[in-house]
Amino acid sequence: MNTLLAVIIGAATVYLGYTFYARRIDRNVLQPDARRATPARLYMDGVDFIPTSRNVLYGYHFKSIAAAGPIVGAITAAALWGWFPALLWLMFGVFFIGWASDYSAIMVSVRNDGNSLSAIAHQLIAPRTRRILLLFIFFYLLLVAGAFVNLIAQVLAQPHVPLGIIMLAVMGALAGQMLYRWRLDLIAVTLITVGVTLAAILLGGTVGGPVEGFFKGFNAGLNTLTAGQPVTTVLDPTLPADRQNVPLMPSFMFWLFGTFVFCYLGAALPIWRFAQPVNYIGFWITALTIFFGGLGAAIAFVIRPDLASFKLPAYVDFLGPESVRAAGAFQPLWPMLFVTIACGAISGWHALFGSVGTARQIENETDVLPVGGGAMFSEFTLGLLSLMAVAIAIPGPAVARFAEGVGSFLSVFGLPAEYGRAIAFAAFVVIVITVVQLVFRVMRVTLAEGLGDRMPAFRNIHVGIIISIALAFLLVVTGVWIYLWQLFGASNQLMASLSLLIVTVWLIATRRNPLYAGIPMLFMYITTNAAALVTAYNLWNTVFLRNLGVPGRELAVVGSGLMIFVALLLVGAAVLIGIDGYRAVQRYRAAPGPQPAPAPTS
Amino acid sequence: MPDDVGEGQRGGLRGLLQTVKEIMYGMASHDMTRYAIRTRASMEHLFILITMGDLLGVPILPPYYSLRLLPYVVPQISTWKRRMLREKDLTDALS
Repeated sequence: MNTLLAVIIGAATVYLGYTFYARRIDRNVLQPDARRATPARLYMDGVDFIPTSRNVLYGYHFKSIAAAGPIVGAITAAALWGWFPALLWLMFGVFFIGWASDYSAIMVSVRNDGNSLSAIAHQLIAPRTRRILLLFIFFYLLLVAGAFVNLIAQVLAQPHVPLGIIMLAVMGALAGQMLYRWRLDLIAVTLITVGVTLAAILLGGTVGGPVEGFFKGFNAGLNTLTAGQPVTTVLDPTLPADRQNVPLMPSFMFWLFGTFVFCYLGAALPIWRFAQPVNYIGFWITALTIFFGGLGAAIAFVIRPDLASFKLPAYVDFLGPESVRAAGAFQPLWPMLFVTIACGAISGWHALFGSVGTARQIENETDVLPVGGGAMFSEFTLGLLSLMAVAIAIPGPAVARFAEGVGSFLSVFGLPAEYGRAIAFAAFVVIVITVVQLVFRVMRVTLAEGLGDRMPAFRNIHVGIIISIALAFLLVVTGVWIYLWQLFGASNQLMASLSLLIVTVWLIATRRNPLYAGIPMLFMYITTNAAALVTAYNLWNTVFLRNLGVPGRELAVVGSGLMIFVALLLVGAAVLIGIDGYRAVQRYRAAPGPQPAPAPTS
Repeated sequence: MPDDVGEGQRGGLRGLLQTVKEIMYGMASHDMTRYAIRTRASMEHLFILITMGDLLGVPILPPYYSLRLLPYVVPQISTWKRRMLREKDLTDALS
């Protein structure tokens, strides 16, 4: 297997899926009508409801849905089960389920006055469905925060990464000032801030350079604060037996808290002051990396054939690698693969965002497929690029393999490998950190809205952020990142199945063929509930019980206990929504169909 | 509409560049533009609520200046009412 073949498979999936399946469903089931007024035209207020060009909206929707999910999921799954199952799930997931979920959520919202999915669930299914969905969203955000912050801290602890990210924060604050206070030209601001950030990334990435030396010394200095002893040790049962006790060194804790400070600023400051300009600069860095990385992957087979062949095993084992099995962790390919790769195949976040952000700007109903479906197929290509990057790299930790792979793709254009790797590491952190700061922002709003009436302290933004950060910290120090990631994946995919449930009920209520949404909904519903239960079992068996009563492991016990609670809560909530959905289906099936118009009388 | 006809006729390299430009704008700046618009609208709508809240049933005593401002507010009243009275929930904060 090589990158050229993977690119051809990806292109064929997108072409066949979009042309022969998505268009067919669009034409025959949803039947968009360009003459029908969309909410953007009907309720145009120039703010939330505003007709927007399909090209602009495609870019907006794609950027909003494409985050770390397709990257991290693909590289984690490839390491657990091999690249072949990961590739199959990416292909079949997006072909039959992913685009259908995104597209349908937007279309249902467009046909329901631009209402959000939770509001539509309230009307179509039951009032409590909306409340449960909101609960779902909070814990989903918490899991996103925990999983992503852990990753960022691990990467930042490497000496060649921090300078670029520190400069991103500084340039972000400066860009906000230049754009909104000094009213400088956007292009000039972009050139200055993106240029300086990229220069810092390259400077930091110079192997054996002064910056790398400085951060090595800095980390070593931090570690001497505890005389080289860890702050605490966590048990990671998914690692080989001799490495399961993972020491959390002061340097790791420093970068963990540094990440939290970054997120705090993003969540507490006015959005124009920090979060938005940081995202803007981050967009250019990641877009350039992804564009040239993708191009490099496509032409590597011709220019550098040695870089193009896959080195990762195609298939490992149904139950995952030997080290995972030996540790007693249960990682069966079904259902765990389907939650480990979340966003590149299907994602609940897309549906949720599409129904409130994108649907209200759709100018014509015929734009929904290129915007919603098109953006999802594009995200699939991002997942595929990550899979290719990790598959061509030499063995090592997942994120390092990704950086190595993308660095190799960039080296096709003559960029030295060390700089390519530095850019890939930085782009990875940028993608993740820009999402996390917004996650904490939404979490504090969620806490204020949900609990503010009963407990006024939650209305204080600092209280909301600190509580959110403390909860995320508890999840991070459980030490088992894979479980945290899979639980996030399960919540994300469960939300996708619930959005498909809402779509299915709507299709039945409006007397349309519900199979294209109903069958994927059933598959995802069963699979993701099973995955959440397997993760809860893994946490109970390999983390909670093993740490219980061991001195110094109290945090791991509390954190894993919290994760088990969240997993069971999500399953319980999904079961309740499932019951309500089933009753709604029965209700709409029993209801009389649309009555024919009365015969004309003479 | 004339604009639509123009867009429909635009093809080739120029059309492709325009499409790429729009997509890049959508990715890079559309959310910033939306946020700026939303901030301005929120400020304006808050001001209208303070001065003309009685139109929505908010019990404020219409002051003298409300009457002076009324002609300027009239064009926005229907949009303002719709935005203020629209049911919202947490998911609206995601957009």
